[in-house]
Amino acid sequence: MNAKQAILAKLKAAQGNRAMTDLPDEPDYPLSQLDSAEQYRQWVELLERNQAVVIETVAADIAEVVTQQMKRLGLKSLLYGENTPFAAQFKAFAAELEATAFDFELDTQAKAFLFEQVDAGITTCHSAIAALGAIVLWPDKNEPRTLSLVPSAHFVVVRREQLYADWPTLLKQQQWQENLPTNVLLISGPSKTGDIQQYMAFGAHGPKHLIVLVV
Amino acid sequence: MTFAPESFRDNVSQALKDQQLRQNIKGATDYFAANRQRTVAADEHFEQLREQGRLIKQRCLAKLPELLEQLEHKLTANGIKVHWAQTTEQANETIAQLLAQHGATRAVKGKSMVSEETELNDHLNARGVETLETDMGEYIVQLEHERPSHILAPAIHKNKVEVAQIFDKHIEGLGYTEDVDALILAARHVMRDKFKQADVGITGVNFAVAQTGTLCLVENEGNGRMCSTVPDLHIAITGIEKVVESLSDIPPLLSLLTRSATGQVLSTYFNMISHPRKSGEKDGPKAVHLVLLDNGRSDAFGDEAFRQTLQCIRCSACMNHCPVYRRVGGHAYGTVYPGPIGQILTPHMQGLDKTQDLPTASTLCGSCAEVCPVKIPIPQLLLRLRMFAQMPDKDEKPVVAGQGAGRKSAEAFIWWLWRYFHQSGRRYRLLTYMLTKMRWALPRVIKPWTDSRELPTVAKMTLHQRVKQRQRQQGAKR
Repeated sequence: MNAKQAILAKLKAAQGNRAMTDLPDEPDYPLSQLDSAEQYRQWVELLERNQAVVIETVAADIAEVVTQQMKRLGLKSLLYGENTPFAAQFKAFAAELEATAFDFELDTQAKAFLFEQVDAGITTCHSAIAALGAIVLWPDKNEPRTLSLVPSAHFVVVRREQLYADWPTLLKQQQWQENLPTNVLLISGPSKTGDIQQYMAFGAHGPKHLIVLVV
Repeated sequence: MTFAPESFRDNVSQALKDQQLRQNIKGATDYFAANRQRTVAADEHFEQLREQGRLIKQRCLAKLPELLEQLEHKLTANGIKVHWAQTTEQANETIAQLLAQHGATRAVKGKSMVSEETELNDHLNARGVETLETDMGEYIVQLEHERPSHILAPAIHKNKVEVAQIFDKHIEGLGYTEDVDALILAARHVMRDKFKQADVGITGVNFAVAQTGTLCLVENEGNGRMCSTVPDLHIAITGIEKVVESLSDIPPLLSLLTRSATGQVLSTYFNMISHPRKSGEKDGPKAVHLVLLDNGRSDAFGDEAFRQTLQCIRCSACMNHCPVYRRVGGHAYGTVYPGPIGQILTPHMQGLDKTQDLPTASTLCGSCAEVCPVKIPIPQLLLRLRMFAQMPDKDEKPVVAGQGAGRKSAEAFIWWLWRYFHQSGRRYRLLTYMLTKMRWALPRVIKPWTDSRELPTVAKMTLHQRVKQRQRQQGAKR
């Protein structure tokens, strides 16, 4: 008997014959009762409490706002996903910002570039969750997983209509269980650690800055 | 302190004398408890959520073997290979072989208590694999060749002065600084180099979803994401009890976990992994493996009361609120999982012969059960373990390995006597009468009980005699 068979046999023997339909009813998850304006306020408040910066702007001004913010943070080079709606905007700011597309596979050479030369990454998002103060990313071939992880600043563009009241509602409306992508991420702020005497230090391993652009 | 539960009593004496340690542990546990309290108090539905959490975990345990099969089926369909291990040796061997197959010699690790349980680092180091713990707390602990003293914040036994000294000693070019931001930045730089070069990332798993074949990781730092994204190979290791039935079970459990652990509404990152890198994708590991470890969990599963131990989602609230843990810290227990959850979990992993002292290290105050997000009745399980530690192992199949190991014949004889004298009123009155007459001959010192207690003196008269005397006096008055 291999390990799998042994473990399963032991569990099944101990399981008893209580009918699985006989399980007690579970109370429902308490869903958010807020209206959409309140949801938005809740979402912004939670993000800001976690030291994220939330900026309201319009889709046409994304590159301009990013350029300003990068100047403020003393950052120079930006990486963006291929085929993203705002990619073309960055051409106008070529003098102030080195913006490059993530158009390479992450091999050894690309790792060196990504870790050592890129200051910031910008991504779109899949949705946002008010009750959790969260931004949901579904990274894909255009916007790879490391784009929101390795650079020390992460800009994320959120459209107002992408905000959902709470997570169970989002899961249900979009039927996530049908086809989950390689990776899904919920992000609630910049990377942080309290591992040294409960002092909260930002930029532990991931981005030190999370800048949310709401359009 | 010795890393063995048999040394618990000696370790406790040492820990209690270490004022710095006690101050560090108190500071950290106070901080976690206050943060938890703030978030929980703000939510009128928290009790309802706890009840939901308990029932979800109990449902998932009721279906455990089926869910594990479904999980394997789904993960395999998604391209993630599943390995099963009954023992820690099997788990380590599986991982060592995977590394050998991929020619991997540089491993970066995300926080995983299960890998502490298997002592994976030692095993891999012996095979020439370099392992780097990348969680900041784990990193501090690894630099000092210590072990985590808390399941969530491994280095809470150290204050920033101690960490400053450790980093000064180990990180080249840093120098001595107590500026925590500078310390973290220095560690970040060290580890970024390692992430870039690593052949394999090894992480734990907080929840494994059977319905979708998804591995979920909860973290604040981003090192779990690094380990599971940057190297070409990702190996996750977890206990068999971490499987949940469906995606809709995740929101309530995650909310309970982060709020009970640190008071966060949501951790900085919640990372859900369902596939290795697909064709056309530019990053992510090309191969993902999951190792499912039993190590005594199926023994706990075999007893309906002890099965509740497996409801645990590893939030650490029980240790943060435990009056024993808060005074002695995690190392004193001599186990991977310290505090109340460790006291009820470790006997199933190591047997009561080695761990019989652990269930006794409790005042049964009930704080742990009160804060447990999935309502594990920890005090009741401690009592049950105490009972099994004394219960002679007559059955063919003991409920807990090492059952009866705490039984001492002198103690058993004393209790036999106690029972004998309490079984009939006549015997009882005879005993108490004899004791009042023999007061002068009774011992003044009964070691070790009287080391820290006064021995009560026996009265001149028994209670029965007193009552009778009083009745006589009252009768005479009337």
